[in-house]
Amino acid sequence: MKSAPFTYVRPASVEEALHVLDEQAGAARILAGGQSLVPMLQMRLMQLDALVDINRLPGLDEVRAAGAETIFGPLVRYATIERLPLVAERLPLLQCVMRFVGDPQIRNRGTIGGSLAQADPTGEVPLSCLALDATIVAASVSGTREILIDDFLVSSYTTALEPGEMITEIRFPLAPHHFAFLERNRKHNDFAVVNVAVVGRRGSDGGWSDLRIALGGVSDRVVLAVESAALLEGTTLEEDAIAQAAQLALDVIDPPTDVRGTAEYRRHLVPVYVRRALSKLRDDHEPFDA
Amino acid sequence: MAEVVQTTRTSLREGRIGSSVSRKEDDRLLRGEGRFTDDVEPGHCLHMAVGRCPFPHARILSIDVSQAVALEGVEDVLVGSDVVSRSDPISVLRPVADAPDLGFYAMATDVAVFEGHPVVSVVAVSRHVAEDAIGLIDVDYEPLPHVFDVESAMDPRSPVLHPRVLKSNLLVKRLTGAGDPEARLAEADVVVEERFSINRVSPLPMETRAIVAEWQAGARELTVRHSTQVPHLVRKQLAESLRLEDGAVRVIATDVGGGFGLKLGIYPEDVLACLHAMRARRPVKWVEDRIEFFRASTHGRESVHSVRVGARSDGQITGMFDAYAVDSGGYNSPMGSPQLTSHMFTGPYRVNDAGTEHSVILTNKAPVGAYRGYGQPESCFVRELLIDRLACRLGRDRVELRAQNMLHSQDMPWQSTSGATYDSGDYEACLRMAAQAIGYEEHVKRGRGPGTDGRYTGVGLASFVERTGYASSKFLARRGSRFGAHESVTLRANRSGGVDVYNGVSTFGVGTETSFAQIVADVIGIDFDSVRVHLGDTGASPLNTGGFASRTLIASAGALRQAAEELRAKILRIGAFMLDSDPEDAVISRGVVCLRDDPNACLPLAEVYDRAIINQGMPPGEEPGLESGAQFEPEAAAYGYGTAAARVSVDPETGDFDVERFVMVHDCGTPVNPVLIDGQVLGGLAQGYGQAVMEELRYDEETGQLINGTMMDYFMPTAADLPEIELQHTFVKSPVTPFGVRGVGEVGTVPGCATIASAICDALADFGVEINRLPLSPESVWRALNQAKASREVRS
Repeated sequence: MKSAPFTYVRPASVEEALHVLDEQAGAARILAGGQSLVPMLQMRLMQLDALVDINRLPGLDEVRAAGAETIFGPLVRYATIERLPLVAERLPLLQCVMRFVGDPQIRNRGTIGGSLAQADPTGEVPLSCLALDATIVAASVSGTREILIDDFLVSSYTTALEPGEMITEIRFPLAPHHFAFLERNRKHNDFAVVNVAVVGRRGSDGGWSDLRIALGGVSDRVVLAVESAALLEGTTLEEDAIAQAAQLALDVIDPPTDVRGTAEYRRHLVPVYVRRALSKLRDDHEPFDA
Repeated sequence: MAEVVQTTRTSLREGRIGSSVSRKEDDRLLRGEGRFTDDVEPGHCLHMAVGRCPFPHARILSIDVSQAVALEGVEDVLVGSDVVSRSDPISVLRPVADAPDLGFYAMATDVAVFEGHPVVSVVAVSRHVAEDAIGLIDVDYEPLPHVFDVESAMDPRSPVLHPRVLKSNLLVKRLTGAGDPEARLAEADVVVEERFSINRVSPLPMETRAIVAEWQAGARELTVRHSTQVPHLVRKQLAESLRLEDGAVRVIATDVGGGFGLKLGIYPEDVLACLHAMRARRPVKWVEDRIEFFRASTHGRESVHSVRVGARSDGQITGMFDAYAVDSGGYNSPMGSPQLTSHMFTGPYRVNDAGTEHSVILTNKAPVGAYRGYGQPESCFVRELLIDRLACRLGRDRVELRAQNMLHSQDMPWQSTSGATYDSGDYEACLRMAAQAIGYEEHVKRGRGPGTDGRYTGVGLASFVERTGYASSKFLARRGSRFGAHESVTLRANRSGGVDVYNGVSTFGVGTETSFAQIVADVIGIDFDSVRVHLGDTGASPLNTGGFASRTLIASAGALRQAAEELRAKILRIGAFMLDSDPEDAVISRGVVCLRDDPNACLPLAEVYDRAIINQGMPPGEEPGLESGAQFEPEAAAYGYGTAAARVSVDPETGDFDVERFVMVHDCGTPVNPVLIDGQVLGGLAQGYGQAVMEELRYDEETGQLINGTMMDYFMPTAADLPEIELQHTFVKSPVTPFGVRGVGEVGTVPGCATIASAICDALADFGVEINRLPLSPESVWRALNQAKASREVRS
């Protein structure tokens, strides 16, 4: 379990990193936290010509508020997200899910940009970025572009990033006030069998708006239950409506069978977990309670 | 910068038998300064990589190594034909009686019989280059139909794995038992009968296997650093396979990162590393990676059982029978498949008519070897679940039915139908304590629920008896074992005033350095910290058997006591002589020899030792030196016992369950170190819990390949997954062992599966859920619920 030979590059700037990516034409990968990439290299599941280490590039590990938006550099570690008051205040869902990612060692290394580039269909980071409607900023030698998270996540471990592109920012719009997150694992903080993240805004009349329901582990990427959310728009999340929305979530999933569970079981769990997550959203009075 | 390390303690700890003195091993291990095989890297060392068959069963048509040989940095390549001409098959240390030897060579020659079977090996200047070279080797395979499980293996149309030795895939079938179980079952008022499946799991030590082999060409001597529980047995096996004299081989095991039965004896890679080292005349290192580990290190358990229990209407169990088939994988490994399932089948119950039919069947999977418990978790699982069902059928309370059938202390010694001689114990006391601790009666009164959260609550219980240590060398000889039941030790005083202990077991996490030092310190009367225990070097220790079968302390305690008594007597003779007195009037008290009646007449032990070692001014007739040795074989095995109990809650909508409490009541005999005992029992319980609810090595039926052979996909519990475990011990001395100790190394693994399954079945008893297959995942519980509901609908 030792990697095949590759060239290690430590660029001095983002421009240099992009230049290397361009030169290598798809045979290079960015090394951020390395929590997925390094094991894949070691197991020879992936062979590269070059590894571009961006860990020492300045400015990529910052989180800042820009008006209603919250902007993350790609190198922001999970541990930072877990602890930063700014995140707790503005994006409590994102902060909450960090406790479900790996273990403290992994959270000290793993990064938000790395997790999005990895695009694990069970990943808590892609899941919450989808629920929070993030935008990914990608740069290449020919410039930068913005990609909506829903367009960014293509399928299992596949994103819309071109070979010469790297993530330079992750931008979050103002998030709805309330959220709920539920996850089922085979073991503590393992890849999810099923996970559900919901966010929404409760009006002064008790009616709900801006609901987004994201599901992980049940398709080739994390998915949004758009119709389910639409059905609940304006309601008070009464039991019947929740049950109906939960059932409707089955339309957006295509669950896999793997060592963590069969497709049949995941199909059974999805309405149960959507229902429970929505009930939790409704019943948790503390706006930022996990 | 290296810090200055304090090597001597300012105050020495006394650490007598029964004290929970902290482990000698802890200091270096907690500092990250242990010395494992991978920490050793001799100059000019080469690294080995092994090419393995990717198919479960395949003919090797050709191997082209030319590109690998040409790669810069590659020093040697071995293929099957080299290996067969230069080495002999790996010997079986503990054969299943009457099983033929399959001739397990270190490399497949014409046919590979499991995924991971070595087919080629390379040594190179680094492991990276060696793996690059493996990638350049072109092996032409013809995949053959494979055998997936014990049922298909016995299908006459199935391919036979070892046609040169066997006509079918049945390695051996054995009947054991006593009385007439068939007659008792036929006349029983009630018979419960079930089929159970036990999962294949991994013993999973934190440190994988590892070897560093150095060949001194001039001396024709091989020195092997090896991660093993049995250095002397490894030396014997390596000498045999490599066609060397035993004297030419030295095996050194320093720190070993866990064994669990997986590191008993040699594996193919050990022979390959030595062959490379001998041919290349350079040291060769191989450290197994986790991907190899899951495919080529022995697995544990996997069996299918058809079990029957018969009873009278008053609850008295009259007959029991278990016909079971063990899936042994592609070969019989040095310790073979588990052999105590039959031995412990009847557990703590008084049954005079019981038996087993034990079949060992070969399949195209990795070989099964010893794993902590060695067949006892299996018998506990099938027996205890069936007794729950018997209670249900008879309308009896589960605790009372067990108590009614349990042996009592006045019945012992008692010989079970399998020939096990239970030495002593109060089985019912453990059962009652466990029931009390888990709140069994309150649960029965309160009922199963559902609670306000919709969850159902259940309580499970499992009682067991466990063999610890070996009955005797005679017992082992009848079974063809190639090791003895004794242990041996050398004690040697040194001129600093300390005592060195030499023994051939290794330090693999069980606290042997600590418990040995406690016994020596206690018997001689010296400080625990003045005893230094040197383990695992065949060049320094007397010949012995090794650390397994919960036997290390049982057998070694006798040898340690005998040798320590001898040393003590000599210290007193010399000390008394130096104090102008008689040995009867002298005492050893920690660091000094004193006269009983004159505390001022005192000599530091260092002075006494020094005089003996240089033989100056010794009592007349006294031999020079201060050294003793002893060999000891216990008169019989000690049988541990206990009852575990668990409380679970189950979500009937998803099958999700939570083990809210887990209680273990266990007799540990005379405790040498209570904290070490707790550590052993907890560690075993963690593995039992893993087998119960998480772990399973799954092969794809179609491709025959391992589906989950990584730490990512094999669900081993971590501390975060385990329930809080409440331990209680009883302390009934065993009459057959030194100091009355019982082994504790394996006991934790025994009741976990049965207890948790029993609790889940209890929680869902209102639905009629019965669980017969391990492991229990939320999905499997959900399926069992669906099945139970469906069959009720059919009936109603």
